[in-house]
Amino acid sequence: MNANINGISKKGRILIYGYMLVTIIISIFPIAWIFLSSLKADPMANPGISLPTDFTLEGYINVFTKLHVFTYFWNSFKVVSISVIISIIMISMSSYVIARMEFRGKKLVTSMLYSTLFIPATAMTFPVYRLVNTLGIYNTPVALIFVYSCSGIAMSFFIIKNYFEIIPKELEEAAEIDGATYAQTFWKVMLPIARPGILTAAVLAFINNWNEYYWASMLVIDKNELTVPALLGQFTTSFNTNYNGLFSAIVVIVLPPIILFAFTSKYFIEALGGGAVKG
Amino acid sequence: MANKVSSLQNRKNQKRRFIFLFLLPTLICFFLFYFYSVVTIFLTSFAKWDYTNLNNPQFLGFGKLFENYRYVFQEYPFFKEALINSIRWAIIGVVIQVPLALSVAITLSKKLKGWKLSRNLYIVPSIISSAAMGLIFLQIYNPNYGVVNQVIQLFNPGFKDSVLLTPGLNIVAMTCAYIFFAGASTIMILGQIFAIPQEIQEAAILDNITGWRREWYITIPMIKETIKTVSIMAATSGFLLYNEVFFLTNGAAGTKSISFIIRELAVSSSRTQYARANTIGVIQIIGGMLIIVCINILFKERRKAKGVRG
Repeated sequence: MNANINGISKKGRILIYGYMLVTIIISIFPIAWIFLSSLKADPMANPGISLPTDFTLEGYINVFTKLHVFTYFWNSFKVVSISVIISIIMISMSSYVIARMEFRGKKLVTSMLYSTLFIPATAMTFPVYRLVNTLGIYNTPVALIFVYSCSGIAMSFFIIKNYFEIIPKELEEAAEIDGATYAQTFWKVMLPIARPGILTAAVLAFINNWNEYYWASMLVIDKNELTVPALLGQFTTSFNTNYNGLFSAIVVIVLPPIILFAFTSKYFIEALGGGAVKG
Repeated sequence: MANKVSSLQNRKNQKRRFIFLFLLPTLICFFLFYFYSVVTIFLTSFAKWDYTNLNNPQFLGFGKLFENYRYVFQEYPFFKEALINSIRWAIIGVVIQVPLALSVAITLSKKLKGWKLSRNLYIVPSIISSAAMGLIFLQIYNPNYGVVNQVIQLFNPGFKDSVLLTPGLNIVAMTCAYIFFAGASTIMILGQIFAIPQEIQEAAILDNITGWRREWYITIPMIKETIKTVSIMAATSGFLLYNEVFFLTNGAAGTKSISFIIRELAVSSSRTQYARANTIGVIQIIGGMLIIVCINILFKERRKAKGVRG
């Protein structure tokens, strides 16, 4: 029956597999090549697509002992997790109020939040740069926490609001009869129910902020406080001819998001697929 | 009775306070970060404000109100280049990335054996930061140890140039460094395809609409809104391209983008031109809105044309 509904002939099947194979090769190739090259002691000696003749792991050892890559992972983790917590709590609160309550100016607040979607970060370069300087947080992790907490709010708002909207009215009424204050209803009843939506928004925000380069490279210049993407920005010059070291560093740096994705792919796919992807 | 009224009143006040307090953090963030910035760039685009007068921007006066805009369009040497490149990347996004995401989503939606693994592998490059992907492609394009020159040399043994420094070719190379990695768009479209009710597919089979025709006449019209959203996303991110420019060429050989020149003027340059950076920021915001309008028109026209034919 299933085959009938799909109605795919043998020829179609081969076509689909062929197409999938090509797209997967294209998407995996850059990472696979970097990995292969990172094992070569001297990429200049056997360039392009070729197997390493002089296998080495020295680059990888240096990434941990000389580059101290964990410092940068920690910098990124600190900035990103704090800003995700701030922005998700903030957006959970406002999207709850907007999804479940009537008040004057609701439409205005909603359209204000959505309008942020149409303001490109780069257009705000100088005002934000100046604001960060005025607040005295330039060149500190706080600058990035501030910017990341404020960016991407429309996306989180959209996801979390949709979850609050489908919660049945009776739950709130029951809590009210039990004498709960509004804040108690929110923390103890509504928030736990909307948890999948909140987690989905959090995973998406985490990955976005973890990968953010534009502000990271502008607002923090102290080498010891750089986040991972900003560190990558310095790689274009800092390795000189140590290609083995450069390749190993890139491999180590792209691994954490891939590992995170392996464990949270369900949330990630649900967030983007509008919750329609089952299983 | 009076007690009950006052308690009701109390509850109402409580609610009002609750709403206000819960909206407050988001509103502060909105006004401090977005509203302040947008108003600033808009107002100062009509001011003289550069490295010589950082602390007191001066209004240009009504006679020379659009002086910054005139300068940017007529005198600033890199604006035209950046605008053309950014528009080019916006169009390429819609023309290449959207059909790619759509076709991959359709093939995945057949749920042939191994589709989940394929989907996850396909997403991987979209999970990695574009900074890392840019750096990886910088190595792939390296004329000494990269892959691309090796491949070109199969056809043209004498080729020793850097792809990224060859005008014209470098735009293609930069585009190839991100355009194929449409994981997020693919997942969005795939989610919508799975949400199409099964009955519609069955009805199509009864009407003997099978194979690829079914995708064209049933699936694509059903998910048109999502295709529109994805098109807007692809065009916008192409229009705002920055990381690829920074990592691959750093703006050399005719590859600057709008975002690149804004940062150049506002922060990186030794003679920073805040007002003019903000002027280009205003143009960027307007450009982003025009993209949304254009794509909306594009999708409306299609429906009309179909209506006439039907």
